[in-house]
Amino acid sequence: MSERLLLTGNHAAAYGAMLARAEVISAYPITPQTMIVELLSEMTASGRLPAKFITVESEHSAMAACVGASAAGARTYTATSGQGLALMHEMLHWAVGARLPIVLTNVSRAMAPGWSIWSDQSDILSQRDVGWMMLFAESVQEAQDFILWTYRVAEQVFLPGMVGMDAFILSHTAEPLIVHDQEAVDAYLPKFDPLYDLDPAEPRAYGGLVNRDHYFEMRYKIYENMDRAGQLLVEAGEEFGEVLGHRYTPLEGFMLDDADYVIVSAGAMTSNIRQAVRDLREEGMKVGLLRVIAFRPFPVDEVRRILTGRTKVAVLDRNMSAGHSGIFAQEIRSAMLGQPDAPPIYGYVVGIGGRDVRVETGHQVLHDLLTREEPELALFVGLKGLPIGPVRKDFEIKPLAPLEVMQ
Amino acid sequence: MNGLGHVDDYPEIPVSLAPTSALLKTGAWRSVRPVVAKRTAPCTAGCPAAIDIPAYFDEIRRGELESALDRFLRRNPFPRITGRVCPHFCEQGCSLAVAADEEPVSIRSIERWLGDETADRPHVVEAEPTSKRIAIVGGGPAGMAASFYLRRSGHEVTLFERRDHAGGVMRYGIPEYRLPQEIVDHEVDRLAEMGVEIRTGVSLGDDFSLEDLEADYAAVFVATGAGKQRRSDIKGESLLEPGLPFLEAAKRGEGTALGDRCAVIGAGNTAMDVARTLRRLGAHVTVIYRRTKDEMTAIEEEYERALADRVKFEWLMSPREVKKARNELRLILDHMRLGEPDESGRPHPEPTGVSSELRFDSIFAAVGEIAEIGTFPERMRDDQGWVDVGADGSTRDPKVFAGGDLATGPATVVQAIAAGRAAAQAIDDQLGFSHLWPEEEPVDTVKPAEVNPTYMPHHDRADDHEVEVVTQFAEETATLSDAEAAEETDRCLSCGYCNNCGTCFVFCPDAAIIWEDGPRIDHEFCKGCGICVVECPGHAMVLVNEREVSNV
Repeated sequence: MSERLLLTGNHAAAYGAMLARAEVISAYPITPQTMIVELLSEMTASGRLPAKFITVESEHSAMAACVGASAAGARTYTATSGQGLALMHEMLHWAVGARLPIVLTNVSRAMAPGWSIWSDQSDILSQRDVGWMMLFAESVQEAQDFILWTYRVAEQVFLPGMVGMDAFILSHTAEPLIVHDQEAVDAYLPKFDPLYDLDPAEPRAYGGLVNRDHYFEMRYKIYENMDRAGQLLVEAGEEFGEVLGHRYTPLEGFMLDDADYVIVSAGAMTSNIRQAVRDLREEGMKVGLLRVIAFRPFPVDEVRRILTGRTKVAVLDRNMSAGHSGIFAQEIRSAMLGQPDAPPIYGYVVGIGGRDVRVETGHQVLHDLLTREEPELALFVGLKGLPIGPVRKDFEIKPLAPLEVMQ
Repeated sequence: MNGLGHVDDYPEIPVSLAPTSALLKTGAWRSVRPVVAKRTAPCTAGCPAAIDIPAYFDEIRRGELESALDRFLRRNPFPRITGRVCPHFCEQGCSLAVAADEEPVSIRSIERWLGDETADRPHVVEAEPTSKRIAIVGGGPAGMAASFYLRRSGHEVTLFERRDHAGGVMRYGIPEYRLPQEIVDHEVDRLAEMGVEIRTGVSLGDDFSLEDLEADYAAVFVATGAGKQRRSDIKGESLLEPGLPFLEAAKRGEGTALGDRCAVIGAGNTAMDVARTLRRLGAHVTVIYRRTKDEMTAIEEEYERALADRVKFEWLMSPREVKKARNELRLILDHMRLGEPDESGRPHPEPTGVSSELRFDSIFAAVGEIAEIGTFPERMRDDQGWVDVGADGSTRDPKVFAGGDLATGPATVVQAIAAGRAAAQAIDDQLGFSHLWPEEEPVDTVKPAEVNPTYMPHHDRADDHEVEVVTQFAEETATLSDAEAAEETDRCLSCGYCNNCGTCFVFCPDAAIIWEDGPRIDHEFCKGCGICVVECPGHAMVLVNEREVSNV
């Protein structure tokens, strides 16, 4: 039987790993770790979750242990956050190259220094190109369910996946959670069948040196499988609806049908943006919301289908790639580039370092979108002393002395 | 490469085509190699009898008590005796104490447990009869040990004992509450059962001479102990009761304290035995010693037990004179202070000029014993007048060997046993057999810094239990239970002896240790990282430079 509990996003993630019947959990147990693994350690200690729980001395080692366990055929889970995910970086690549469908939850935080434990997408988006699937949860329910959804796809394409969850506004906020019936989950997520059987009687070297003759082909297969994962996410999202009662999709629209204006958002701040869209509809603005759930693989075709022909598109980024723009805006722009009838893409940077993204923030962005004539790479919202606008061109730097040309 | 002409031919991840064991022989990277090595444990190094303690502990751990006893007997025939009275020199060097700051393993208690567990097992003669007749003079620990080893080697052994029973100091010196007579009886019986002829009531000098024995026997071992009371320079010495005869009388059940207030002069093991025996006879006892607790020669444990028996100690008091006055004895004492070290290495007591007088009903002297060597002819003496004895018991007469307290002065039972064994081996060799016990090559001793106590069980040391004493002289401690002995044995790090604990197997990062009956290092793959050597609890592995063992 499923049950309805009031839980935080952290505990929901732990329930997700439990429902997935994770067999090995390896995690660094200290800051920036969250209550996710605290609850999992209790579940494993009590026997409620028959898994091996391995504490290690760093997130790098945590992922290394996950790599080993997954290679040995165990369904493997870990959780981390912020600097921890950064420290895992090298091993994140390893999991991809070794084709290991590990799932992790990242409680997304701003990066240090200055030290911050607040919500921000910088940590997870810094891992954009390692080759992990990436999903962004908006609710406590999704923090749990996306783990199952990710495993179902990951174990078909043999690629790892991470679920991003906003720090505090999701990780530490309690909401009602439906904990699914275990039998139903088991039907959705059969036992992990690894790509290779490790046989101690015939030891082989896995992941060794590959010459120029061969590397490209194996990497191409990773690209191909990630591409395939796009369609599998759609299918597995539908299956989730059939078996567990809620259909998930890589993108989610709200009031899009007749919208001239579209605001694009991801993660937990979307809830407030949804309210702002409702409010602006009442003011008469024909606006809709597009929520990006799957960031990798990026649903390029579906984004094109939805955004083509709109008047203007605003993209909210709780991150900024210095020297360019918010990363979601880059992705949307890139998807729409060269499309006939492509709308202008306005990038808005909001809520950096956990600053609140309120309903009013959504109002401000949408009013700005209505009046602003030219799209900008990045428009900064809510900086003290500055109106919404692009990066200043006239601020002063301290230039080096002029070069003296040698004769 | 064939078969990889199309992207679809590729595996999902790079996997070696052949098993790595055929391709990646990482052993070639090595400059040093780990080797499982038998080394000397500090306990063994500290034991006068050099008992291989980790090895017999391992046999106990595996439930092979017969093998454990066999190994023990190669070095010491009397675990039931030394398991009770030995000052356990072995425990002083225990690596556990130094490396983990824990109490040393209770080695003596396990020895006692093993001895008691296997008490029913008779001794066997292991060699073919040699028809060689050997005389042993003196039925104490040295003579009994020599008898055991020589008889075991097939010789015909006759043990001459001047008293009614063999046992020497073990029977007539060490009090009943420390070493019950039945234990000594049992060991004497086992010797007799294996064919040692024991002739009691005959003494060297009175009933036969050394020359008589030399005429009748192929070799003679003399171990008549050190039973002669050392003379003191106390005025009125004749008023003092000698300690050893008192202990002997007490052992026969004839001891008397001669009053309520007793003094014991001296602070060696005999003094402790006299004092504690007097307490058991109901007297108040004061031990008087001219130095301090730190210089006393009694073993610490006996001192502690004397304190527990409420024996009183007067330190830095040197008896000058004893006088009889009416019904009591007056002991004049010079108060001393510690001065420069003397030839014994201990601070020499010097008079302070102050003196006092204490009154007692009886005063016992336990100021040390010396050997009675009048039966040895001049030709066997050194220029000091002592019998000239080598480390293996040989004397200036090739047919005569000597050892034990006779040669060393008062020492411990285990030292006497070691001397008896050494003489037995020398005699066996001299008679042309050399078929005694294979001697292990001496190897280096494990140092405390080398061991790794991290993974060992940490629990309190198990000592012999104090028992509620039912009768005055009943044994005051009880042997460990089987469970306690097993748990205590598990505390041993097994220094220098591989007991197949498997730590190296667990820690080898290259899976280069193959488990067969024990660890086998697969040198094709061992990279020589040394982790196994560092992790080995007892450091029974060493790293050897590859250049010393191969052409690499």
